[in-house]
Amino acid sequence: MASEMDATERFPMEIAREMASLKYFGLEIPMQYGGAGLDSVSSAIVIEEISRVSAAMGLCISVHNSVSAYPVYEFGTEEQRKTFLLPLASGEKIGTFCLTEPNAGSDAASLETTAIRVGDEYILNGNKIFATNGGVSGINLIFAFTTPDEGKRNYTVFIVESETEGLERGDAEDLMGMRGNPVCSIALNDCRIPIGNRLGEEGQGLKIALSSLNGGRIGIAAQSLGIAQAALDVSLRYARDRYQFGSPIVEIGAIKNYLADMATRIDAARLLTYRASNLRDRGMGHGKESAMAKLFASEIAVDATRMGIQIHGGYGYTKAYPIERYYRDAKVCEIYEGTSEVQRMVIARSLIKG
Amino acid sequence: MNIVVCIKQVPDVPNIRMDKERMTIIRDGVESIINPNDCVALDAALDLRGREGGGITVISMGPPQSEEALREALAYGADRAILLTDPVFAGADTLATSHVLARAIGMLDPIPDLILCGTQTIDSDTGHVGPQVAEELNLPMVSNVIEIHLEDGYLTVKRVHDGFLDTIRIKRPALLTISREMHKPRHLSLADLESAFSNQGILRMGHRELGLSPDEVGFSGSATWVQKLHRPPPKRKGEVLTGTPQFLVEEIIRRLEFLSIIDEEGDNE
Repeated sequence: MASEMDATERFPMEIAREMASLKYFGLEIPMQYGGAGLDSVSSAIVIEEISRVSAAMGLCISVHNSVSAYPVYEFGTEEQRKTFLLPLASGEKIGTFCLTEPNAGSDAASLETTAIRVGDEYILNGNKIFATNGGVSGINLIFAFTTPDEGKRNYTVFIVESETEGLERGDAEDLMGMRGNPVCSIALNDCRIPIGNRLGEEGQGLKIALSSLNGGRIGIAAQSLGIAQAALDVSLRYARDRYQFGSPIVEIGAIKNYLADMATRIDAARLLTYRASNLRDRGMGHGKESAMAKLFASEIAVDATRMGIQIHGGYGYTKAYPIERYYRDAKVCEIYEGTSEVQRMVIARSLIKG
Repeated sequence: MNIVVCIKQVPDVPNIRMDKERMTIIRDGVESIINPNDCVALDAALDLRGREGGGITVISMGPPQSEEALREALAYGADRAILLTDPVFAGADTLATSHVLARAIGMLDPIPDLILCGTQTIDSDTGHVGPQVAEELNLPMVSNVIEIHLEDGYLTVKRVHDGFLDTIRIKRPALLTISREMHKPRHLSLADLESAFSNQGILRMGHRELGLSPDEVGFSGSATWVQKLHRPPPKRKGEVLTGTPQFLVEEIIRRLEFLSIIDEEGDNE
């Protein structure tokens, strides 16, 4: 099913609905809002296990939970929780996190989406790209800025439902990996939303973004772990069964080295991920730690899948084996939710600040 | 309707490997699960509760870690869980195990209408405990049940036995062992799982709470004990024929005919 999702680029809505009924769309949301009430470590385990089978589905769950539903819980008013969190946690509506724009990737602060206050409404104008889950979303978190005074930008987050007039979704991107996740652009043309849809206060946008990304990075670390672990599992199995030179190739030193390196770095990545989630569960700061987990886990996902194809040899290059899909899926983990370069910046800043 | 389901935590047997030199089981790193046949009994209980209302109690005798299996059963929908655990219960054979289970079930309030068990475990495979518990509690018992119908004071069940389908009517309370055929795949909601592990309590009882003396239970209370556990060496009776292709073909056909695997015209039977 995972390979079918990759080949057909079709998002399996029936599976998503079943997962929704089992509370997979409300992992860390408290039970009173229809969530599963899990802690961060458990949530990371769930995302890893799903990603082990389908990284594209793991991405959907991770992004929906950590950077869409959770911010609504954390920063929403009770009214907003009733209106928006309940459908998100139940999976009735899938969520997106729209920060990136054509001219604003790592340089998020140069985003150009504006929000002008007119009476009881805001009018939004702008272009968001690479919105994970965009093609099937019901609720979108849009990052824009308001300008209370000349030249000053107040970054603000808005909850915009997909049916809102003026919101237009572009075609799904044709991606290298994570195929089947409906990533697309979202354009806002004089999109009017009530003031009640503003999440937090004007000017709180960056705070909300950074806070959400702490959880989001743990999610992507977990997703990367799933991909890396899958690569290790299939490579070990293949190496045991494949005979060359009269013995299974698992007995060749070079192969042993690959497997040992993969296993060791995956374990290290897992511990980094759980360390970050544990800090989060204890209500402690975890910005540096979640950046470390995401950085390390995404890099081992790419390396492990590369080594995995090498272990599989020629067969690994064919679509008959899943390892090539894992390799294609892994690469983006080093890019989204903050590139590896940005993660290093975050970690270094934390060290320098002391 | 009050239903009791007996469960056992067992190692995930298909994943057990053999130490080929010592011919013993390697249990390290093998996950513990609810005995799959007990899950089917729980399925049947959940179905019945759905139809008739009432409560489901899951009960297990085992070491403290069996609590995990009970919590999983709670997550599936059982209402109450009881763990019978005590160092003196260790080394119990099926007789001693049944004795403990029967004692605990006999102490339940309210008295159960129905006790459901799996047909056998995947680790010991004896199939003894269901019948032995029924004997001790002096209850009518039917094994390998595939259908259950409730009536006032009675049960009509269908069971499969040696290729025959029996329909049997018994008085309640009764004990049934549930056929694998009644299995319904169920998915666990994460919220139920979280709730079962974080919010619900499990009643623990040892030999004292059950009013049992140490020599009635565990190794001392057992009538049998396991001397050795090993995988028998594979015995393959093979014969290698040699000769010309003509000879080999004729000889193989002759042998297959002799064994009645093909008849003399060369068709398959």
